[in-house]
Amino acid sequence: MMNDRSIRLANVSKTFYTRSKEVKALENVSLSCEPGSFTALIGPSGCGKSTILRLALGLETADSGIVRIGGTDPEIATASGATGVAFQDSALLPWRTVESNIALPLDVLGKKRSEFSGYIGDLIRLVGLEGFEKSLPGELSGGMRQRVSIARALVTSPGILFLDEPFGALDQILRRQMNIELQRIWSESRATTLLVTHGIDEAVFLADRVAVMHNRPGRIVTIIDIPFHRPRSKELFSETAFHKLGDSIAATLHGE
Amino acid sequence: MANEYRHNRLGRLAWLRNLLVLIAVWEVVGQLKLVASGALPAPSAILVGLYLDRADYPPHVWATLQAAVLGFIIGNSAAVVAGVLFVISPLALRLARGINIAIFSLPPIAIVPVLVLTLSGMTARVVLAALGCYFATMTATVLGLSQTDPRTMDVVRAYGGNSWTIMRLVRLRSALPSILGGLRIAAPNAVLGAILAEFGGGGRWGLGTYLLGSLGRADPPRLWGIGLVATAIAGLAYAIFALIGYRITGASRAVTIPASAAPASTDEKNRTPLIRASLLMASVILPLLFWWLLLEAINVPALIAKTPMGVIDYLFIANSATTAQLKLLQAFSQTLPITILGLFAGLAVAFLLAILSETFPAIARTLLPFALVTQTMPLVALTPLLVLLLGRGTAVTLWITISVTFFPSFVTIAQGLILVPKSALDVPRAYGATKAKELQLVAVPASLPYLFAALRLAVPRALLGVMIAEWLATGTGLGNLLNQSRGYLDYGMIWTVAAASVLLSILLYQLVVLAERKLLGVMGMKTSE
Repeated sequence: MMNDRSIRLANVSKTFYTRSKEVKALENVSLSCEPGSFTALIGPSGCGKSTILRLALGLETADSGIVRIGGTDPEIATASGATGVAFQDSALLPWRTVESNIALPLDVLGKKRSEFSGYIGDLIRLVGLEGFEKSLPGELSGGMRQRVSIARALVTSPGILFLDEPFGALDQILRRQMNIELQRIWSESRATTLLVTHGIDEAVFLADRVAVMHNRPGRIVTIIDIPFHRPRSKELFSETAFHKLGDSIAATLHGE
Repeated sequence: MANEYRHNRLGRLAWLRNLLVLIAVWEVVGQLKLVASGALPAPSAILVGLYLDRADYPPHVWATLQAAVLGFIIGNSAAVVAGVLFVISPLALRLARGINIAIFSLPPIAIVPVLVLTLSGMTARVVLAALGCYFATMTATVLGLSQTDPRTMDVVRAYGGNSWTIMRLVRLRSALPSILGGLRIAAPNAVLGAILAEFGGGGRWGLGTYLLGSLGRADPPRLWGIGLVATAIAGLAYAIFALIGYRITGASRAVTIPASAAPASTDEKNRTPLIRASLLMASVILPLLFWWLLLEAINVPALIAKTPMGVIDYLFIANSATTAQLKLLQAFSQTLPITILGLFAGLAVAFLLAILSETFPAIARTLLPFALVTQTMPLVALTPLLVLLLGRGTAVTLWITISVTFFPSFVTIAQGLILVPKSALDVPRAYGATKAKELQLVAVPASLPYLFAALRLAVPRALLGVMIAEWLATGTGLGNLLNQSRGYLDYGMIWTVAAASVLLSILLYQLVVLAERKLLGVMGMKTSE
């Protein structure tokens, strides 16, 4: 395990070229997540939230600026198994069972699956999928698939966790349940977490800090600290302070 | 679900009923000698013939089977390995393009005499069977591997997986249905290749040899009997891979449509015109080098085996060069128009059949066995019968060309229609779209890359079909020139026609590739190449 579990981006820019035009996905983005912190990235569609995450995972390279994950290059950090990721689309392999999909990162990292079988069982219980161990993704509902993808993100017991709108496809009720679950899971692991979302509720409920992004070019305009104590219960969703904070984030999002 | 099941049952019964009706009609037509005074014998007469000849078959079948199976294994192993290599390294694909197309375009008829002269009996058969498999399986492998859901590849890359890890954990498995589709096409091809080689070159055993020996006996039931046995072998091989494919596709269908765009390959753009030009040159020169090295290696007299230089000498430098050029040009002007016509006719039939099999599975089930029969019946043997049925004009050429092109095209297009994601189809369904609307809006556009793959697959086959017809029926064009030259022992012309037809194939193929890039580029889709 790595000692440093931080996520650091300094003056990162990234431009995409399509056939007809160039899109400035990110301009001069700096973000620093201390070990054990929970940061939410929020912003309109296409503001570059997911690009930040892909840069941090080494799936894209920045045109300029520095990206350090756990004090090293993203490629090295990911290949060492220090990171976990859940994508907005569950991205499960259709031919693998639930169990086997959760074990995919172990296969990639060349770890023995047998040593983790007990842990995989724990994860399946954690995300509430007992009895579906041998099911194929095609036989599951959207919410269940997304929970498999969360379990997969946790299978390496990562020190750094990336979540790309993991509950975007879920209904509000299930989403809140999953938020409470995720908080519990996170407070056990204390993984440094970067959550990309477009749900203000979700961001405020889960994160220590919320980074608000704007569009064209994609940039971070402000970072707001969330003062609520942990553990946060579901009652928080109906508190006045919670809504006030949400409203002020919405105002910042709309550029007011 | 129950309703669907019942429909399936009915569909299966309809298939059986239609088949029985057809066989009954055939029996009547055959008994009354309605078609070309007995060229189409009744099924009962064919069965009686099969029974009378029962002692002849086992050694012939065994010999053909050996060559076909060995060729199938060798050709497909090479194809899958090559496909994996091409997907991992686009440069390798670029360089090997010339060799790939050349292998596929080689008219088996033209190389049979050469193969038989240069290789010992069994080897020529295995080589031709393997050559028949390579291109179909290689194309299917590349297509399947490059159409892998990019999201799932991201997951593996996000854990530091490299190209090989992605290949091992995601791509190979997700390409399996496509590869099996390729094997399905390759199986009848292997049988056909083996029979063609037997037909053209000596040996004591083999269905092709048997056929050759029976041609002169004016015994249509026996010819049809041999054809049916060959078809049964090819059909069985097809059925095995269709069954495996059917079982596997269920679990491979993407659950949702990919949200992230396929990453655009920047390789091609980054290359300077100079590098691109030299790559093109290399891909053209490589097959020629291959041709030359092969002849050097097996050491055949220069009189029989012409190197690329030998062909150039024959066509441009030697005293008879002008005559040779004239003959070649005339043949070209006869072959080209009918090839293009046959190509699009074959593709149209394939497309209609694929749509039909999506819309009315029962019809497809009825037609498919007959489609398979036309595919695996050794055309070389049936052409004399076809001439009796259709005459010696354009009709017989078109018939043969359609029958060699439509089947692989059909399999490829149908594959594309099957792999359309469920969720994409749900949208028009939710608005009460009819099956036709659904096909028009989603299924057909989504399977466009497969349609183009089918067209690419069909180009060289169309030329092959036309040449077979010209050789055996119409007496015109490149096929006839090849046949004549064989008679005159004009080895220079044999090699020249083979080289020229390969070049023509490559040219047509490149035109399709160009159109494909343009259209798929405009539609924001990825070409399968």
